[in-house]
Amino acid sequence: MAVFDYLKCADLAEAGKMLLEEERIQPLAGGTDLMVGIRGGKFKVRAVLDLKNIAALKVLSEDEAGITIGAGVPLNDIVNFKPVREHLPILAEACHSIGTYSIRNRGTLAGNICNASPAADTAAPLYCLGALVNIAGPRERRSVPIEEFFTGPGQTALKKGELVVTVLIPKPYPTGKGIYLKASRTGSVDLATVGVAVQSYGNEVRIALGAVAPTPVRAKSVEKAVNIDGVKDWAQAAQLVHADISPITDLRGSREYRYHIAEVLIRRGLEQTMEV
Amino acid sequence: MAESVTITFTVNGEKESRIVSPSRTLLKFIREELNLTGTKEGCEVGECGACIVLLNGRPVNSCIVLAAELDGKELITIEGLAQNGELDRVQQAFIDHAAFQCGYCTPGMIMSARALLERSPSPSDEEINEALSGNLCRCGAYQEIRQAIKSCAKK
Amino acid sequence: MSAYKFLGSDVPRKDAVEKVTGSAKYIEDLHFAPMLYTKILKSTIAHGLIKRIDTTKAEQYPGVKAVVTGKDFPNRAGLYLVDRTYYAVEKVRYWGEPVAAVAAVTEEAAAEAVNLIEVEYEALPAVFDPREALKPGAPLVHENLAEYERVPVFYPQPGTNIANHFKVRKGDAEKGFAEADLIVEREYYVPQMQHVTIETHKAAAMWSLDGRLTVWSTAQSPNVVRQILAKSLGMPLNKIRVVSNYIGGGFGGKAGAAMEGLVVPLAKKCPGKVVRVVFTREEDIQGSFTRQALYARLKTGVRKDGRITALEYHMVWDGGAYTEYGVNIIRAAGYSSTGAYDIPNVKTDSYCVYTNNPIGGPVRGFGMCEMQWGLERQINEIAAELGMDSLQVRLINGMKDGSTTASGQEVQHVAFDKCLQSVADYVGWGEKSGKYRGKGIAGLVKAPAQPSNAASSCIIRINEDGTVHVLVGASEMGQGMLTAMSMIAAEALNIPVGKIEMRVPDTDFTPYEWQSVGSRTTYCLGHAILRAAEDVKKQVYLITAQVLGLPADELFLDDDTVYWTKDKSKKVSLREVADSCKKCSGEGIAGPIIGRGSYVPTKMTNLDPETGQGKPGLFWTFGATAAEVEVDPETGKITVLKLATAMDAGQAVSPQMCQVQVHGGTIMGLSTALFEEVRLNQGRVLNPNFTDYKIPTIENTPEIKGIILETPEGDGPYGLRGVGEQPMIAVPPAIANAVADAVGIKMYTFPLTPERVWQAIQDQEKTNRTP
Repeated sequence: MAVFDYLKCADLAEAGKMLLEEERIQPLAGGTDLMVGIRGGKFKVRAVLDLKNIAALKVLSEDEAGITIGAGVPLNDIVNFKPVREHLPILAEACHSIGTYSIRNRGTLAGNICNASPAADTAAPLYCLGALVNIAGPRERRSVPIEEFFTGPGQTALKKGELVVTVLIPKPYPTGKGIYLKASRTGSVDLATVGVAVQSYGNEVRIALGAVAPTPVRAKSVEKAVNIDGVKDWAQAAQLVHADISPITDLRGSREYRYHIAEVLIRRGLEQTMEV
Repeated sequence: MAESVTITFTVNGEKESRIVSPSRTLLKFIREELNLTGTKEGCEVGECGACIVLLNGRPVNSCIVLAAELDGKELITIEGLAQNGELDRVQQAFIDHAAFQCGYCTPGMIMSARALLERSPSPSDEEINEALSGNLCRCGAYQEIRQAIKSCAKK
Repeated sequence: MSAYKFLGSDVPRKDAVEKVTGSAKYIEDLHFAPMLYTKILKSTIAHGLIKRIDTTKAEQYPGVKAVVTGKDFPNRAGLYLVDRTYYAVEKVRYWGEPVAAVAAVTEEAAAEAVNLIEVEYEALPAVFDPREALKPGAPLVHENLAEYERVPVFYPQPGTNIANHFKVRKGDAEKGFAEADLIVEREYYVPQMQHVTIETHKAAAMWSLDGRLTVWSTAQSPNVVRQILAKSLGMPLNKIRVVSNYIGGGFGGKAGAAMEGLVVPLAKKCPGKVVRVVFTREEDIQGSFTRQALYARLKTGVRKDGRITALEYHMVWDGGAYTEYGVNIIRAAGYSSTGAYDIPNVKTDSYCVYTNNPIGGPVRGFGMCEMQWGLERQINEIAAELGMDSLQVRLINGMKDGSTTASGQEVQHVAFDKCLQSVADYVGWGEKSGKYRGKGIAGLVKAPAQPSNAASSCIIRINEDGTVHVLVGASEMGQGMLTAMSMIAAEALNIPVGKIEMRVPDTDFTPYEWQSVGSRTTYCLGHAILRAAEDVKKQVYLITAQVLGLPADELFLDDDTVYWTKDKSKKVSLREVADSCKKCSGEGIAGPIIGRGSYVPTKMTNLDPETGQGKPGLFWTFGATAAEVEVDPETGKITVLKLATAMDAGQAVSPQMCQVQVHGGTIMGLSTALFEEVRLNQGRVLNPNFTDYKIPTIENTPEIKGIILETPEGDGPYGLRGVGEQPMIAVPPAIANAVADAVGIKMYTFPLTPERVWQAIQDQEKTNRTP
């Protein structure tokens, strides 16, 4: 294991300052990606900055704006948070599909999106739910729609000195069913070969996918067919996903298989969430 | 750069204060500095579960936690389960059901099982699967492990 | 009800309390001080010459105590074909081959320093497919094959990449095919897999200033480690001590002398200090024995009535860069090449071929999973073409008492038909499954693949109070050796298991044991224990005879007392007999009682080099697996609905532990059937971690039915035979046969990943569409 320093900070201002001024510093929340990345040489850090003392990151609450999930909240707490279970079961499912129980005691939603894997399980539901990422920086705070947060594999909209404080799932909550379907090699603890979120908003549907493009993506062509063109044949609608994605071949699946599975999962998702 | 971090914590019921290297993992700290070698290393990246311990009552993979993060927390390792020479009922159930072979995954497995029974005294199969899917057992004693945990369920 | 007093009943495992409390000590748990940490520099090319190594900077790095390269320990080592050095000498033959290493006072210093070693390579053309490696003009992996020392039953062919060619010529294959009504010929492929024991490979070594070497290792075979090190170092055996504590899983990966030699030259440079190496998960998957990949072509001739008349089996094994152990796997696969079936005419050619892939070696099943995959798949294809039930074809051809193996060895005490029938009954054979559901069955057989003179030994000490210590050199890697052997000792001595203590091996103190491999220990060591117990009882009775003034042959031992068979009131306590027994007058009779027993097989023979005929099997363990599966034709995902494995254990020592072993083996088999494959690109492992080398979790584990049959093995101690490796062998073909039944696809390779199954369904639909 590499040698590095362990730093703490009291509040967001201090965190922002340290992240801005220090070179080779990485924020530490759950550490489930960070520690693996340090060991594997992906992060060459001089120091890690433990954010877990910052009160603003521990928030897990619901108010008139929606559900706010602090960047320091472990995934298991999100899965068990009643408003999430009630209003956003799709997010609970996706959080639950990450790693293992013990990993979810440490790993966070913010960590999942900051790691910015194209296969991030929470991303597709967050896309469907129109989540907002609240970011604190050295000078200003800003909110970024989740779809603008992911900029490439491992790349986010975060600038030097910035960190994610909370993720807001804004109201109104979806009125219809939502489902996160994950195809993987083992069906147990595994990365998604393809992850598909299908969320009904009554007559409308929102669909997003993971592991089929450099970032998570919305299935805009499918959505258009269902929401605007009124296609009711889900198989026919699902086929249109080919235009929205650009999967690659890797150890978890081939490009061809991913095209096929994306289509199958979208059709199944539509069948399970949309009334005919 | 700080050479060391001072941490105060409870381990298996005993209060301790130690000076640790900032980049030391909790796993290495437990094994090499607390000399509690029951907690095992199997992958160093949180994928096998052999290093699972309870941190403030929750199972975590100690290989991807820093020792520095232990400050102010309560740690329970496999060595902390037996009380006054009596095995914990999960430990006894693992013996009764022969729920292990090589025993290398067993400490982590038992810690996960123990935490499960704390939060769900009569776990369903699904809850057992959820709680233990992060504990790999290459000898494949899963069937016996499931039975052992079920035998601990409060009727 | 068991016919025995202790055998056949369940007792808590001897290692149970230690293992559930975390107090069981594995090698890495031993506290050594002062200790040096090792990091190894690996080759970054698959095949090439080492032009230059510069270790200067590493040597100067603070905290570094020693640096070694191949020059420091150029002697070759190996179990069967001595073709390997622990560090590459002049040439590297696989990606990740150890080239140099550093020992330093901290792990961090070792890790930093090892990267300062500069190596310059000159790449050579490499070969990664053993079929290519067989062709004339293929790059030669070993130029000096002729010089390598070998056990004479192996046949390397210098000037080629063939490390061993094993032949079977039984009956007249040509005539057999002429008699056949149907001939089926197909190719099958089995990829590399890894053991991925949760405990990785670890070793530590220390040279004392008086020239003795102590090695602590995760070895399944401390005596073999000692022997191989002694030979390669030119040292006498009594100067080397090898200690193996509890082992966190073996499955063959820790057999032989796997990696202990890596720390030995470092330790030599730092006398008095313990130098330890702990493989990371990545090093373990890339750098320890993998299962050899198999490219097989199998041709079977069969009559209309289902009787197989001839078999031609052509096997090309990917031995990897060194085949010191692998040469024996291909031999075992060769002499077992008819599987559990009695086939009169056989022509088998099994080749172990060098490539620039990771080192092949022993993995649970020792070639049987790979070889019986094709065979058990082909039987289903035969059945389908004949329009017969596949279970029926298995029963018609299955071995029975008096059948002969591929090597012409007669088998006895066989209940293969019962194995098949019992698992078939469990899955409701013959009853129709639902849509996309299917049932499959496969048989299995395996004998221990050991040299004909692989020996075991045992010392039994009766303590002064009549309790017992049993000393053996076998390893406890989870299989339950300590418990099973204690039970055998209990039965043989007629002393309860609770009074018997047994510990893990230490070659300075425990007697010789060849290896804890091949499911041989219970049988071979069991015999040695029986003999040691007889020796103990003989001494007890001779002493008692003097105390009681009765004939020694009229006495018997029961727990803590020796009785006269004719009048049980005439007795003496074992304590009295064992505690330096003396007469009333005070004159001594006898000192402490120590029994000894040793065993070596006497009925195994070498095999004819041209025909492979002879007796290679000490005993043959039969079994079968049946499965019912459901296939999602859209995603290719397989769900296992029912899974049963039957093993004929002869006599279960502990039925509970036997069940755990059968369940565990079946899960490992299921794992290889569905998930496991070492993915290679130009010899480099692409998935050296649990992220991409998947093994099952509890969630992937269906309820498994273990069926233990007990057809006593004639020569076995208490009629028992080994069942440790076997339960995994038939699982992949049983699953594939079930998948074929469910959706009609024919799989020629595994793992049956969702994508592979989906692809096969696509291909089949395409074929069906084209007229």
